[in-house]
Amino acid sequence: MSNTTSDDSLITTEVQADSNDDRAAAAAGTAVAARNLNVYYGDEQAIDDVTMEIPEKRVTALIGPSGCGKSTFLRCINRMNDMIEICRVDGDVEFGGKNVYDADVDPVALRRKIGMVFQKPNPFPKSIRDNVAYGLKIQGFDGDVDERVEESLKGAALWDEVKDQLDSSGLELSGGQQQRLCIARAIAPDPEVILMDEPTSALDPVAASKIEDLIDDLAEEYTVIIVTHNMQQAARISDRTAVFLTGGELVEYDDTAKIFEDPEEQRVEDYITGKFG
Amino acid sequence: MATDNANAGGFGEVSRVRGIVFEYLSFGASVFGLVALGVLLVYVAIDAFDLANASPEWLLTYFLTLVVPFLAFCLYSASDRDVTRRALGALGGGLVAVAALFTAVEAFVAPIPRLNWQLAYLFVVAAPVSAYLAYVGSGGRVGAVGFGLLGRLVGGVAIGLAVGTLFLVFDPLLWFLAYTLGVLPAVGLYAVGRRRSTPRAQTAAVPVALAGLIAAVVLRDVVATYPSDLIIYLWTVAVPVAAAGGLLVAGRSGRTVAALVAGLPLAAAAAGGFLAAGVGLPGPTVLLVLVLTGVPTAVYVSRVADAGEGLAGLGLPLLLGAGAIAGALIVEAWGVPAPDPWLDGSFLTAAPSRTPVEAGLYPAIVGSVIIIALVAVLSFALGVGTSVFLEEYTPESGALGTLTRILQVNVANLAAVPSVVYGLLGLGLFANLLGLGIGTAVTAALTLSLLILPITIISAQEAIRSVPDDLRRGSDAMGATRWQTTKNVVLPEAMPGILTGTILALGRAIGETAPLIMIGAATTVFRAPDSLFSRFSAMPMQIYTWAGFPQADFRYGVVAAGVITLLLILVGMNGTAILLRNRAERGS
Amino acid sequence: MTDSTESPDLTRRDGLKRLREGTYGGLFAACAAITLLTTAAIFVTLLSDAVVFFRSISILEFLTGTNWSPNPAGGGQAFGIIPLLIGTLVVTATAALISIPVGTLTAIYLSEYATPNARSILKPLLEILAGIPTVVYGYFALVYVTPALKATLFPEMSTFNALSASIMVGIMTIPMVSSISEDAMSAVPDELRQAGYGLGATKFEVSTGIVVPASISGIASSYILAVSRAIGETMIVVVAMGAQARMPEVQQALFGIPFVNPADVLLESGMTITVAMVQITGGDLTGGTLPYNSMFALGLALFAVTLVMNILSDIIAQRYREEY
Repeated sequence: MSNTTSDDSLITTEVQADSNDDRAAAAAGTAVAARNLNVYYGDEQAIDDVTMEIPEKRVTALIGPSGCGKSTFLRCINRMNDMIEICRVDGDVEFGGKNVYDADVDPVALRRKIGMVFQKPNPFPKSIRDNVAYGLKIQGFDGDVDERVEESLKGAALWDEVKDQLDSSGLELSGGQQQRLCIARAIAPDPEVILMDEPTSALDPVAASKIEDLIDDLAEEYTVIIVTHNMQQAARISDRTAVFLTGGELVEYDDTAKIFEDPEEQRVEDYITGKFG
Repeated sequence: MATDNANAGGFGEVSRVRGIVFEYLSFGASVFGLVALGVLLVYVAIDAFDLANASPEWLLTYFLTLVVPFLAFCLYSASDRDVTRRALGALGGGLVAVAALFTAVEAFVAPIPRLNWQLAYLFVVAAPVSAYLAYVGSGGRVGAVGFGLLGRLVGGVAIGLAVGTLFLVFDPLLWFLAYTLGVLPAVGLYAVGRRRSTPRAQTAAVPVALAGLIAAVVLRDVVATYPSDLIIYLWTVAVPVAAAGGLLVAGRSGRTVAALVAGLPLAAAAAGGFLAAGVGLPGPTVLLVLVLTGVPTAVYVSRVADAGEGLAGLGLPLLLGAGAIAGALIVEAWGVPAPDPWLDGSFLTAAPSRTPVEAGLYPAIVGSVIIIALVAVLSFALGVGTSVFLEEYTPESGALGTLTRILQVNVANLAAVPSVVYGLLGLGLFANLLGLGIGTAVTAALTLSLLILPITIISAQEAIRSVPDDLRRGSDAMGATRWQTTKNVVLPEAMPGILTGTILALGRAIGETAPLIMIGAATTVFRAPDSLFSRFSAMPMQIYTWAGFPQADFRYGVVAAGVITLLLILVGMNGTAILLRNRAERGS
Repeated sequence: MTDSTESPDLTRRDGLKRLREGTYGGLFAACAAITLLTTAAIFVTLLSDAVVFFRSISILEFLTGTNWSPNPAGGGQAFGIIPLLIGTLVVTATAALISIPVGTLTAIYLSEYATPNARSILKPLLEILAGIPTVVYGYFALVYVTPALKATLFPEMSTFNALSASIMVGIMTIPMVSSISEDAMSAVPDELRQAGYGLGATKFEVSTGIVVPASISGIASSYILAVSRAIGETMIVVVAMGAQARMPEVQQALFGIPFVNPADVLLESGMTITVAMVQITGGDLTGGTLPYNSMFALGLALFAVTLVMNILSDIIAQRYREEY
């Protein structure tokens, strides 16, 4: 996306798209960019001077051993880290050309533009319809709610399974269905970016592969940033991959194919081949 | 053991005698208080219902017409051979054991006052077995339906009477205007907005309601003629309750059934109300009771009919009603000497009196209901507000975190302040300084609200804390503001827990006496209070007064009836709270 | 998707929405402030009238006087708190003699011996003991317990007496001891018990030798809370103990050692601080009289004592809480 209002010249760097799947190797704008980002939990540094640009309408995977800061980085983008009292953020995260840590940015308004899917499916104890319509409701959506609910459920490849039981509780669905419901909930308000924090790690392999297919489809319309501990998954679904290693350091960030076939850094190769982590 | 030569042949044995004695001792301690309370409750029940004067024939008649059919119903519902065998064994064996033991004690130790073996059997064997069978029976489909229906009937009567009582104090004419001008349009607007998914209409409901309420207050004295109370209740309570019942059913069972569910009880209630008024009974109260029992019952029956399971359970109220009537007929026909209970209809509807036989609890019951209604509203609102603030709005560290901790410690300390001190607060602050009046209902309600506020807050906090953080984060990530997360996710999830805690706290408030004495509540009033600023008495206050009377008929009769009434109301409230909690736990 | 030429607006929402958020936050804060205000109001209410009282009656006279008669028929008011303190002490101590051993044993049974099933039935039943209105307990004591004791053990007992009231206060406070102690015992980690069994200890030895010492701070704080509750208990004593502020008769035993016959105290009526307060409400309640003000002085004493005890129990529970 390009920007008409503010200092867009900073972030219209072109990124070579991937050779990973059928998305054309065309130029894409930058959706999210981090500049000299440092995050601390109390005295401990969780993100160490990370600078990266995440292309729009692509799937970007963040991988690395546990405790490497990849989830922390994800939560910086929609400022969910604000909820943690001891967390302190230094540096910029730009979204649509605006630093989301600027004083005049409302984190609530920010989160309305950025959807998020969590590790454990967390549908609200409400009906399926109300779950999907939740974002619309809190944002005061004026249009046809039912139509949007249907669109979102179709977008999350869940419509056919639940169209006859929209009024039953979201908790009655299976784990994989619940996660797709959460994805439907995230895309219903039509965000620009969807953050996914290990969305398949609590699911069985069949359900996980359905989610993976879905993520691929989502990239047609949304910028997807996904944290995963599963390297095969990152290789399968992402266009770009960022490798974080211990201490919150961004070691390498490149097209997925490059990372997995010919990484620059020895440490990354060690990690990918299982020698480290 | 290798070094222990004395035990070379084995490990020996460590004495367990002390341990076993200790285990039984500690078990005895656990039940000591309960047994003591149980004995006292048996005696107070005997006194309240004059069972000491009940002839064995009378007991046997009602045992056969009421208790036996009830037990049979429970056994049928449980339909478990083991349970049946155990229950019959307990009933039969208990009969022999109690009779023998009782006779032996009377013969060799000392006579047991105001108790015979038949009564002892009822309380020691029949009552626990009934309770156990009711528990087991309600697990079966038939039993669940039966108890569900019974609960709706009893609950409906209680709520109907309570609502009728509240209209003694709150101006029905003002309510009529407020309902017609404010509540009805606002609810309509909200419903339309929800149906069409237009949030604007939903948002508009609040100002419309406010405008309507203001208009009602302004017009209250301007409008000269009003419909009769009966019409007002019909229009403002019966019709909406019936409509709500119909809507509840409509989605599931279709329009015809919905019309029946809404229409039949409404018609019956209206007819009952006008008939009652015609023969000089309080028509509006009859109307309220009929509609508030009829509609939930009809909804429930239609739901059971839809499910098609446990239909036989619907007969339980009939079974019990028929049993009671049959018992009464037999007693009448054979001239069986019957006891003359202190706790009867006239006790609940008469004013206090100097003669024990005429004394009644009515004004005190009305006083209690009014105070509790006010306390419920105040403590619920304040309790939820405070607990939301403490759990959702304040951080755990930093300067604000210190404030949170101070608030928390303060709440804990308030919970331990003696109730009599709250009474002094009410007297000094509300009654004298703010001039709300000594011994008025509003002073009492404010005092008791502050008294139970810490309990409400602590239980509401627990309920809010038990909402999983996942849900909050999910809502936050959708871009919900703090209030939206609280309103849409946290409070709906925590509500059953909050309500349970509030009802339990109200149970504490309804029995409190010391603060009422301190604020100068009347020891006896002969007329029910008719405004928030009139002098009132309350049930525990009246019990306190009567307990001080020297006549034995008061001490052993009237007060016992009052105590049983108070305890039954408490049991009803706490039972509701526990049902609510169990249902919520099962739901999640 | 929004039009890609449009930059997202991330700035603060419009005034109305922020106002709404702020309003709700403010409302909740106001609710929370009411709890603080309640404490402050209790202090101020008690203190302001108590100060007036102490202008007429010196604190020393109040604390050391042995005669309490706020509304004497003939004149000669006296406001000495000692007889009230004795009455309160008698009731509290006797009640503690019941609630502490019974409550502790109950806690041990629930935490160590009871099956989960038995525990799930017993625990809520025990809570009933604390949920019965105290005026009902008072009635029980007056109408059933006293005649029963009179008929069996103590024929010389008077109708209003301290013993029946104390027994009821004791029974009422059992759940306070048992539930807090049980929480503390259940918090003892199983490894400690396993260690005991591993050394060949019996269940009895593990319960009394390991679990109880390990949870002693929680047990102690439960005792203090129960005693504090007994001190503030009003209705049971008002109904069953009568209202006679008496100094017990001191007798001379062998070698002139003074002693008090417990029967003189327990089987006769007496007056606690709370009863004295209730007594005064029979008179004028609009304020301005000495008895009216004395109520607040008594309330202040009661409030201070219970507050200190609660804080004490809190400190004990905090400071000596074992870190498992």
